Amino acid sequence: MALRRQSLVLSALLAPVTIFLGIFFLVPLGIIAVYSVLSPGLYGGVEWSFYHWNYGRIFGWADGIEEVFEPVYLKILLRSLGFGALTVILCLMLCYPVAFWVARLPERARLFFLFLVALPFFSSLIVRLYAWLLILKPSGILNETLLALGLIRAPLEILFTPAAVVLGMVYVMVPFMFLPLYAAIDNLDREMVEASMDLGASRRQTFFKVVLPQTLPGIIGGAVIVFIPSVGNFVVPDVLGGAKGLMVGNLVEQQFLSARNWPFGSALSMLIMAVVLVVLLVATARARKAGGQA
Amino acid sequence: MKKAIGLALALALAAGTASAEGKLALYNWGDYINPLILKKFSEETGIEVSLDTYSSNEEMLAKIQAGATGYDLVFPSVHMHDIMMKLGLLEKTDINLSPDFKNIDPATFRSHEDPGAEYCLPYAFGTVGVFYNEDITGPITGWADFFDIPGKTGGKITILDDMREVMAVGMFMTGHSINSTDPDEVQEAADYILSKKPAVSAFTYESPALLLSGDIAAAHFFVGGHVYFTEKPNIKYVIPKEGATLYQEDMCMLKSAPHKEEAKRFMEFYLRPEIAALNVDQQFNGSANVPARDLVADYIKTNPNITLAPETLERVQTFVDLGKALKLYDRAWNTIRTAQ
Repeated sequence: MALRRQSLVLSALLAPVTIFLGIFFLVPLGIIAVYSVLSPGLYGGVEWSFYHWNYGRIFGWADGIEEVFEPVYLKILLRSLGFGALTVILCLMLCYPVAFWVARLPERARLFFLFLVALPFFSSLIVRLYAWLLILKPSGILNETLLALGLIRAPLEILFTPAAVVLGMVYVMVPFMFLPLYAAIDNLDREMVEASMDLGASRRQTFFKVVLPQTLPGIIGGAVIVFIPSVGNFVVPDVLGGAKGLMVGNLVEQQFLSARNWPFGSALSMLIMAVVLVVLLVATARARKAGGQA
Repeated sequence: MKKAIGLALALALAAGTASAEGKLALYNWGDYINPLILKKFSEETGIEVSLDTYSSNEEMLAKIQAGATGYDLVFPSVHMHDIMMKLGLLEKTDINLSPDFKNIDPATFRSHEDPGAEYCLPYAFGTVGVFYNEDITGPITGWADFFDIPGKTGGKITILDDMREVMAVGMFMTGHSINSTDPDEVQEAADYILSKKPAVSAFTYESPALLLSGDIAAAHFFVGGHVYFTEKPNIKYVIPKEGATLYQEDMCMLKSAPHKEEAKRFMEFYLRPEIAALNVDQQFNGSANVPARDLVADYIKTNPNITLAPETLERVQTFVDLGKALKLYDRAWNTIRTAQ
């Protein structure tokens, strides 16, 4: 009896989230999946006939009449994945040492620091990116300062380059990397670190055998949270990159708007989701393994 | 990125104390109507006007197609006006039968599907050309000069982040129509742009501020950009000699409009020369309203780039809907934007 009641309560508690996800995640996903194998309507929308060229166009299987295979789409996807990976690595390099430092601060300072990390979320992303545009442009604050200090002779050409895109992405994503890393590092068993040192392990050995395995779930968690939105990001490349390098996010947006090709946009979205899913599965498997070791 | 900002901007203009007789919902491009017009309309009629904005024809169409209701008047470009006619999204208004319609220049009936303006009222038009900082670039007469700026002076140039506008530049330079649907011609135009891509700093709409601060030397931009440069005699505008595009938007009533009567009243209100002139004074572009052209500020009246001479109008081209050939342009555009 008690068990049945428990399961009833559990179902009642889980029902809202299940229904919510069902309606607002699975249904749109289903629509995208179906649209991705339909033919495009002339003025947007879809026509209800099966049409596999949307994927064919991406992977090199096209009839050459209606659709032409172009390696450009795979190139764009690869480039986006590359930018995502680079963003992850740079965020990790920035956040890992800082998280250690913050974890050792006194309570009040620590809370203040965490507040600072969350501070950018109080203003719109677009506004913050325009601020970067003003900072990075040739006559911007960065160049004026460096010129005044005599560190450079001519303004640095950063704005509208891939470097500006990476900088912007890292800037946007740093908090997402920092928080899971901090959580993992804060939970680090310090006694184990001390034990390792006492038992004669070098600093290097202690880091790789004790610290890294214990913080690996945080690293993987942060990496996944940073990687996924970085791959699909199209605002940063538009504003800071001068829209010169197309990202897969831009491509999807363009297919739904100026190209009026919803099915192809859907096929591209499915492709991004597939890639992200693979990354996620690999990451969870690694995290589980890491968790087992610790 | 005007998109994201514009989208969030929902300006509600209350009608003051006047009894709210009715409501009217406009869906227009960002910064594309003088707020004073809405205020005057509300004061006179007691109708409460709300304004939502979009940043591209396709964004507006996608929203209407997806079933967005509640909007009365939209402001599509001519080719989108045609598409919306074909899709049956627009309401016949008989605006051409209104007494003040005689003010409207018949040369602005550019829609193929609505040649007699029985549905929509021609709203505003203007050219897309080049703004340049003459101190850096010297005189510029056309696209060839424009693309030579970086090589000759070290100054930077930007072009619009717009598929049709950029492809049009390629079409002018290869001697084709901006509405060509011939795959070879599209390819030639794309190749021209590709060959010039290394000279281009960015594809962007944010050029006026960069031009003002001296960070770029020239920009492909709409004539309305004049509004930023009225105090800057060294920043000049040219309608390139090889060719330029002429945009035009029309004011159209949606079939799904909830306030048709109020919408028609607004269209008729906009037929008045003094009202149309208010828009020109704020937008720095051309008006379909002939008597209004005499009521605008001198700066605009005497500027041949804003108030276009007939011979200028003869050498500009307006976009038409490409139908299925849009795909050719999309492919070319993806290649252009991906090339390193």
